[in-house]
Amino acid sequence: MADLWNLFIAFLRASNLGFGGGPAIIPLIQAEAVDRYHWLTNAQFADVIAVTNALPGPIGTKIAAYIGYQVASWPGVIVALIATIMPTVLLLIFLGTLLSKYANSQALQAMLTGVKPIITALLLIVAYQMAVDAFHITQALDYITIVIAAAAAVALYFFKIHPSILILSSLVLGYFIF
Amino acid sequence: MKTIWDLFLAFLRASNFAFGGGASAIPLVKREVVTKYQWLTNDEFANYLAIANSLPAPILTKLAGMIGFKVKGWLGALVAILGAILPTTLIVVALGGLILKYAQSPALEAMLKGVRPVVAVLLLQTAIEIGKDSLTHKATWLLGIAALLIMFFWPIIHPAFLVLASMLLGYILFRKKNQ
Repeated sequence: MADLWNLFIAFLRASNLGFGGGPAIIPLIQAEAVDRYHWLTNAQFADVIAVTNALPGPIGTKIAAYIGYQVASWPGVIVALIATIMPTVLLLIFLGTLLSKYANSQALQAMLTGVKPIITALLLIVAYQMAVDAFHITQALDYITIVIAAAAAVALYFFKIHPSILILSSLVLGYFIF
Repeated sequence: MKTIWDLFLAFLRASNFAFGGGASAIPLVKREVVTKYQWLTNDEFANYLAIANSLPAPILTKLAGMIGFKVKGWLGALVAILGAILPTTLIVVALGGLILKYAQSPALEAMLKGVRPVVAVLLLQTAIEIGKDSLTHKATWLLGIAALLIMFFWPIIHPAFLVLASMLLGYILFRKKNQ
């Protein structure tokens, strides 16, 4: 029982103080799981990060599920996941309802007009950071990453290829090329 | 019932093709909920993204909860979140120690190296699409460019702060024009 409570508190703190998505959450989870509760060693934690980075989807919930199961089996998984996602989801559902309710309010429309350019900028920054990672050139072979990006852009704009197909084919391509 | 199943599938696909971190799911979610099922307009999606980005925790489960709730209430929210996290949860639990052995394998790193350029392009495309709806006149361009410069040169300033500040600015700047 104490384990479940500790899991809940650990992931509640780590996830809900982690502004800025996955990368911001990782050091906070490390502080809880390694330094405070000693559920894993630093080396084990590094392996968990490597695995969860390789799997698709949100990183926070994958780490929560893995550590939750190691500490307290299935109840641990559920408790850690709930602590990770529930508080902000509830708050957002409430905010989303307000958004629909006052959709015609001029004041709200004005605020949203102000905020959307910032979201555009935010997405550009995220794309830029991903690009820095993607086009990390250390050898001649790495220039192929630029070719892949150009091919993906052409496929997306001119042939309207579904993103999932692009993702799958680039995983396969990566396996054979790099 | 059909809609519940669609919600599950939409977030299942969006999440499980999203390699390279949480943000890589954004273009895929948009594709499902705006283009394919038309639960939200491009503009509504931008609003949801704005609100979700101002709070902590993984972006994908936040979007799943909000969009699921809008489409089909509490059950919709639950199903969309399950679609987003169930497969990878089962994988990390079931394979546990086994996958740790492959964590640092070169084959895996090679595949991720192949997919990252595609994710970068998808994110750029999403930024352009959201931008088309957002940058409607000079003042909004100015706001966008200012935000871009701030985020680039002062990454210490948290985006949530920019989101809140821009809502206040929007309230002051754009309210009178509409009247």
